Amino acid sequence: MKDLIAYIAKALVDKPEEVTVTEIEGEQTSVIELKVAKEDLGKVIGKQGRTARAMRTILSAASTKINKRSVLEIIE
Amino acid sequence: MEIFEFEAKTTEEAIEKASRELNMPSDEMDIEIIEPGSAGIFGLVGGRNARIKVVINREKPFVENEYENERGLTIAKEALEKILGLIPMEGITVSAKQADGSITLNIEGDKSGLLIGRKGRTLDALQFIVNKIVNKSMDKRVQVIVDSENYRQRRKEFLIQMALKMGEKAKKIGKPVKTNLLNPHDRRIIHLALRDDGRLETKSRGEGLLKRVLIIPKK
Repeated sequence: MKDLIAYIAKALVDKPEEVTVTEIEGEQTSVIELKVAKEDLGKVIGKQGRTARAMRTILSAASTKINKRSVLEIIE
Repeated sequence: MEIFEFEAKTTEEAIEKASRELNMPSDEMDIEIIEPGSAGIFGLVGGRNARIKVVINREKPFVENEYENERGLTIAKEALEKILGLIPMEGITVSAKQADGSITLNIEGDKSGLLIGRKGRTLDALQFIVNKIVNKSMDKRVQVIVDSENYRQRRKEFLIQMALKMGEKAKKIGKPVKTNLLNPHDRRIIHLALRDDGRLETKSRGEGLLKRVLIIPKK
């Protein structure tokens, strides 16, 4: 899960070296925290939150596959 | 990004006009039909012009040469394969082809439909992200379509059937009928499906990316 979000985020931003993703695993739900450079925040959120929504949709498909739930938090 | 509006007797004429005036092929424009237009009774009374909205991203021209296209295709395919590999999906292959200035990536082997998702949401999300990734590393614009199990075609046929059915209902009850929330691509299919029905008109209603299409019987 973590690697999936890290790959997508790094491919979208200008400063991939500043992308950090941490996964806090719970029994059923994992929280995935994504942190990017301040000037890249717009790139991972997108117009009307479209990019963030697309990442969440892909993440939830990936989680369904292993019968889990994952939440993506973009840390500002 | 620039937004233009064009008006003509029919939607096709409006699109042609836009293409001529903006000097750009119509398949490279993001077209939204505001008003499909109607001939009126015997083409005399109550006719209304078709109006379209054209959104153009002029910042980057579309890819023109083979080499650039080939490069876009490679980046798109690799990005999608990488994402699918990280989900992780096993036993999946991605085939790529180019046609009419766009790249179609077809995912083969997902029998579960997991990658399509409810109403194609997962497929749309993958398509959106892959488009972003490719266009980030290209100087020219590329359009990527992501498909699986022939979903795009099936969805189109489903929407056309739904539009026709709702159109019949609107005429029967004499009241407008509205669709659920649809994205611009899906709305365009609805508008086009009912364009030739002189007894109906269609309009998009709502705010944001997802809107409803209102199917209105003419008095």
